[in-house]
Amino acid sequence: MRISKGGLLVVLALLAPLLVELRTVLAWVNVELSVLESAAIGLILVVAIFVWAFWPDNGNDGPTSDSSPR
Amino acid sequence: MSNAYIDQFPAEAKVIRAAFYSSFFALALGGVFGIIQTLHRTGYYRFIDSADYYTVLTAHGVFLVISFTIFFLVGIFTWAITTSLDRGVEDLRFTWGWYGLMAVGITLTGVAILAGFTDATDISASVLFTFYAPLQAHPLFYLGLVLFVVGTWFAGVDWFRSWWAWKAENPDERIPLPAFMVLTTMLMWYIATLGVAAAILLFLLPWSLGLIESVNPLLTRTLFWFFGHPVVYFWLMPAYMMWYVLLPKISGGKLFSDPLARVVFVLFLILSVPTGIHHQYLDPGIAEGFKFIAMTNTMFLLLPSLLTAFTVVASMEHGARQRGGEGYLGWLKALPWRDPVFAGMALAGLMFAAAGFSGMINAGMNINYLVHNTFWVVGHFHLTVGTAVALTFMAVTYWFLPQVTGKQLWSRSVALGQVVLWFVGMTFMSNAMHRGGLLGIPRRTAEPQYDGFEFEAAVGSVAELDAQIALGGVLLTLSLVLFFANVVGTALNGRSDDLPDNSYAGTLSGPEDAPQILDNLKLWTAIAVVLVIFAYTFPLLSIIDRGGLFGPELVELPLSTLDLESISALALAVEQSTIATLETTADTATAVIAGVIP
Amino acid sequence: MSHATDESTQIQDPDQPTDSDQVREIGHDEFDPVGALALIGLYFLILVFLWFFMYFVEFLGNDPTVVSGIVSVVTGGVGLA
Repeated sequence: MRISKGGLLVVLALLAPLLVELRTVLAWVNVELSVLESAAIGLILVVAIFVWAFWPDNGNDGPTSDSSPR
Repeated sequence: MSNAYIDQFPAEAKVIRAAFYSSFFALALGGVFGIIQTLHRTGYYRFIDSADYYTVLTAHGVFLVISFTIFFLVGIFTWAITTSLDRGVEDLRFTWGWYGLMAVGITLTGVAILAGFTDATDISASVLFTFYAPLQAHPLFYLGLVLFVVGTWFAGVDWFRSWWAWKAENPDERIPLPAFMVLTTMLMWYIATLGVAAAILLFLLPWSLGLIESVNPLLTRTLFWFFGHPVVYFWLMPAYMMWYVLLPKISGGKLFSDPLARVVFVLFLILSVPTGIHHQYLDPGIAEGFKFIAMTNTMFLLLPSLLTAFTVVASMEHGARQRGGEGYLGWLKALPWRDPVFAGMALAGLMFAAAGFSGMINAGMNINYLVHNTFWVVGHFHLTVGTAVALTFMAVTYWFLPQVTGKQLWSRSVALGQVVLWFVGMTFMSNAMHRGGLLGIPRRTAEPQYDGFEFEAAVGSVAELDAQIALGGVLLTLSLVLFFANVVGTALNGRSDDLPDNSYAGTLSGPEDAPQILDNLKLWTAIAVVLVIFAYTFPLLSIIDRGGLFGPELVELPLSTLDLESISALALAVEQSTIATLETTADTATAVIAGVIP
Repeated sequence: MSHATDESTQIQDPDQPTDSDQVREIGHDEFDPVGALALIGLYFLILVFLWFFMYFVEFLGNDPTVVSGIVSVVTGGVGLA
């Protein structure tokens, strides 16, 4: 695991404000998303973060081992 | 045997516990009214009469921003004084006395508000937290508030007594930082509450009792905001204190700079009060010039907030680097995110940074016109008092509860889930409130929908915003349930001997680096008073001049004609120069923008 | 009291439980808060950006406002908004 469970929770929480305002930002460049599409993007991002978090970090465990759980 | 607060100061721990439990009781009540109101406003579930909405709103406001915050504050401040001066309170009966006075006061006020739900009595107080005349509450409401505020005054006396006694024994030492924060905050509070005391005792209470016929609504409003803006710093200062003295320790480091922290609190003492008129930008009867002065003072208040942002982040970074963090932003990963105390405070700080922006919008006189009295403002203060303050308080509760009860926290995982849930819930709710405000949706409205008119959203729809608000409200309520589960679970735990020590963060740059003059409380108080006189004398006199002391019909203050003429002349001059400045600025802006747009 | 010595002599308190993850001691002179600078700088840039953005949302997005000089721009700027 590349990040502590607490850290993962916080990262997921920080995703919320980004997702909520993503539609507004995209509307500015004339990309209109529906609620369902926003939710789908959210789901994809959550899955991506999970995959990243649980991917075994072979090779570069130098800096990341500091933040892994005790 | 542990060395927790309860082991050092068992008697004081009891007082703090009582204050905390009073605070949590208010939080529970306020939370219930919060969800009722959220679902009612958004139209998802309306089981109360819309006429009762204002009673709900009053209860939500008063219980949360008066009893929840201030009871928590007195708990924290008592901890700060006793811990940092390393001495118990001077007279325990006096301490229980002010706590009792506060409790009795808020109970009277609460009863007056809640009685509004029943027709059995004619007592009611559906006047909202701001109790603007001509809205009139039952005398019990005002009387309770007076007792509550007087209780906080005595609490301040208690803390000053401790400091005087300590100073007599340690004449050459610097005031310890937490004690310094308590003392400056209380000085600010004494100045600020004079406004609300005058509004209630001279006008609203006699009026409610029928002793005087009428009041000058603009005068009581202005006196309310004389208190109403500094009170937000009264909520915020304990949270700031926690960010300065507890957060660095929890992050595994030390406070970056003790002198900077002192400067910040001095600036808040000086600048908190002479800014209240910025809540009245749209009030007719106050000259633009006076509003402009209030705006300038308000913008200066950004300074201590930005100083705080830097100092607090630097202190967190110190902790992170001591824990092995590297890089420009990589150190963020080394912070103790699993610790609910840390995660809660950090997320609260992040929300506060966002609130800083909406606050700047509110503070700008011309931009304020566009969001004044809209849902935007509600979104703003749910980020400040509703998250920066409330979430910090809930997070530090997880540190304080074991200290003052001597019991292990029931569940750290639930606690972490709780603070994160609050953050997510508030993201949805507050963001949608801001957006709704930009569309012109009004605040303080039970049914914000109108025949033949629809608010037009630029992106999405009003229905989506309502859904976000309701979703956010539900998540916040859930978060509260988790919080209370933890409080109750902890109270039911047995006494533990394995608790962390009662201590606060050390400093990288200590008080020895702070200029001695920072500890000269008399000087700062004098400056604060002078600034208040500058900012308020002329507005108050001109309000009385125009509207009478007790409303227009009655005899006006015996002021000489000369005084009044010079005041009006001055007001006119300031007003005109302001308008001239604004016009020039607008012209320049027009020119620039005309150049940019093809 | 532990913090009293902590403050005056700047010695790390070994009993503090949160310090169990500490891997090194960084004193006043070695500590260079570049991370704080980066973060606050980022925040500042966001503020500046939002300040400009605010102009479009709050003025061009709305009908004529109380600031008189802007009205002509609103009509001219509709195409852009």
